[in-house]
Amino acid sequence: DEEFDELCFEFGLELDEITSEKDIISKEKGEEKAKGASDVVLYKIDVPANRYDLLCLEGLVRGLQVFKERINLPRFEKIIPAEGEGQRLIITEQTAQIRPHAVAAVLRNITFTKDRYDSFIDLQEKLHQNICRKRALVAIGTHDLDTITGPFTFTAKAPSEIKFKPLNQSQEYTASQIMDLYRTDSHLRHYLHLIENKPRYPVIYDSNGVVLSMPPIINGDHTKISLNTRNVFIECTGTDITKAKIVLDIIVTMFSEYCEKPFTVEAVEVVYPNGKTHISPELAYRTEKVKPEYINKKVGISETASSLAKLLTRMCLKSHVTGNGSHIEVEIPPTRADIIHACDIVEDAAIAYGYNNIQMVIPKTYTIANQLPLNKLAELLRLDLAAAGFTEALTFALCSQEDIADKLGMDISATNAVRIANPKTAEFQVARTTLLPGLLKTIAANRKMPLPLKLFEISDIVVKDPNTDVGARNYRHLCAIYYNKSPGFEIIHGLLDRVMQVLEVPPNEENGYTIKAAEGTAFFPGRCAEVFAKGQSIGKLGVVHPDVITKFELTMPCSVLEINIEPFV
Amino acid sequence: FTEMPTDNFVESSFWNFDALFQPQQHPARDQHDTFFLLDPAEAPQLPPGYSSKVKKVHSQGGYGSQGYRYEWKVEEARKNLLRTHTTSASARALFRLARQEKFTPVKYFSIDRVFRNESLDATHLAEFHQVEGVVADRGLTLGHLMGTLKQFFTKLGISQLRFKPAYNPYTEPSMEVFSYHEGLKKWVEVGNSGVFRP
Repeated sequence: DEEFDELCFEFGLELDEITSEKDIISKEKGEEKAKGASDVVLYKIDVPANRYDLLCLEGLVRGLQVFKERINLPRFEKIIPAEGEGQRLIITEQTAQIRPHAVAAVLRNITFTKDRYDSFIDLQEKLHQNICRKRALVAIGTHDLDTITGPFTFTAKAPSEIKFKPLNQSQEYTASQIMDLYRTDSHLRHYLHLIENKPRYPVIYDSNGVVLSMPPIINGDHTKISLNTRNVFIECTGTDITKAKIVLDIIVTMFSEYCEKPFTVEAVEVVYPNGKTHISPELAYRTEKVKPEYINKKVGISETASSLAKLLTRMCLKSHVTGNGSHIEVEIPPTRADIIHACDIVEDAAIAYGYNNIQMVIPKTYTIANQLPLNKLAELLRLDLAAAGFTEALTFALCSQEDIADKLGMDISATNAVRIANPKTAEFQVARTTLLPGLLKTIAANRKMPLPLKLFEISDIVVKDPNTDVGARNYRHLCAIYYNKSPGFEIIHGLLDRVMQVLEVPPNEENGYTIKAAEGTAFFPGRCAEVFAKGQSIGKLGVVHPDVITKFELTMPCSVLEINIEPFV
Repeated sequence: FTEMPTDNFVESSFWNFDALFQPQQHPARDQHDTFFLLDPAEAPQLPPGYSSKVKKVHSQGGYGSQGYRYEWKVEEARKNLLRTHTTSASARALFRLARQEKFTPVKYFSIDRVFRNESLDATHLAEFHQVEGVVADRGLTLGHLMGTLKQFFTKLGISQLRFKPAYNPYTEPSMEVFSYHEGLKKWVEVGNSGVFRP
């Protein structure tokens, strides 16, 4: 087990859990139900999001074996049948509105066992979830070729015109009935919306009008694959042709292993509405030339060209040295769609070398360090506020609409707040425009602490601002609150004076700060003042209005100061 | 290391994802479980010359890359969100660096808040802080990255480190940094890193 864990770590896979069917059932339903379940050890492996070739057992094992140099990477061959003998998939123009692209391939004389069959279905599901973006971009359909006759037509028809027996059902349904049928199906209902409200639904027919599938929802029962199936017709339809090709390539490269002629795939001719034809699958092998110095330099190692070529071959990138050692020619197989730049090749070379074998060095870059002035100011003020006897709090930047509006006696539209479109709970509806609710909530959560409670926070608030490139900006605010049996306005005022003192801002109108009586919906009338400095209003201080105190579930009076410190940077 | 400005929680998808080569329709974008904004929903301005370069690299490739080969939509890039990582601020900082007349090597850092639309539990919050560091210079290697990380973590008192290959859309090679936790008696992930893609 440890050996496998090591291997996964080196290769870049995460061994999530070592368990067994028995353990899983035990955890979910209790020991009793688990009796009799399999004790066979199961590995849960997390595969990186860009490696589609490792999503099934076949690909994973192949990848690891090539890595350990136990086998050579198989070569995938596309067999183009003689004229008139191959299958054809004809795309009609009606699909353009809804699902324009399609590719297809045939796996000849394949032998399925229960495990291989399960793996086959499993891979399709994983690809659907991953690169196909939950079937929105690409949908895969696999069919028993012996039950149908080509040429096949991929078209789109009105839902009432489509009628067939869906997979594992006992009777025929029209397309609209199928939508209703699967509305409650826990698995398929998530895909209904992809075509539901469109005038035409995609559908694939064979030459006798038998429905192969209605992508992306469900295949027909007629063509369903069983353990006895010998010839498989695979079609991938979608809105993104690049991804459809990649998906098809992955499926055929993984499972062509089980064909009578292993690693061969029979090509299908795809005919487009404009008459152009295309041989599918791609199964393209691409070559990239890299210089060994490039790889060595980027990783920080010094290997010879031939040892680098060997390392890359171990990563399923067959390579050999050319040009008297000046270049390495790397062949990128169709299974490695994630290699799109020389730097991807560099990473694979580094993985094969072993990240932990690379020597660690410190960059010789000479730079002079600097602190951001705004942050430096905030840090200094934090220390001084703490020295004044106030305790720092760190609260959430997201809160509910009531927190910054209703509870403070204001209307939400007056706050100029940034609103979230998809909050998981009501607690994250808006980004805070003031630090006050956060501190009030903190006090509410700490009611049992001895009085007085003196808290402060120096942190960002967010408001809409049409002058910025994104439409909103942050302001660094300082907020302090004093909560006790008496409101303590004089204490908060004293704190403001102290803050100004350390900022070296004199208490006069011309070049310093001043306070003027003001009103504020969150404040007690007659006990509120506005703070002016550097030619602008920077905030307010005062006694908090009893309504506000009650709305935040507090019982004692309190006074608060909130100012914007950015003008003082 | 010089501190980078990170005082914008609201970010456009452009800087948070597209400029970092995270494809528009790929699950990797959802992986972050993002908070999208209702108001302001779209970023009014995107850097014009730069955004057309980003468009090209996504849809056709460039700088030696094949690209993703899909239709890049500017509306998708305009979508505002609460940043899911401080790397968007790093992208902005590197963009500013690129527009300098003469290149100077830099080391940047930032420590600030990021937002992810996740359900709260014992180990997950919707808002948390990230520490980010960037080094830009000529001739940097993976070995340098590992060396810098080793020094950084050693100063935090974590010295037993191992590096594991990982995947980020914007870095290649990428590494996850693991450290041995004496209390839990196992290796836990303490960081993520990588060399930015050309």
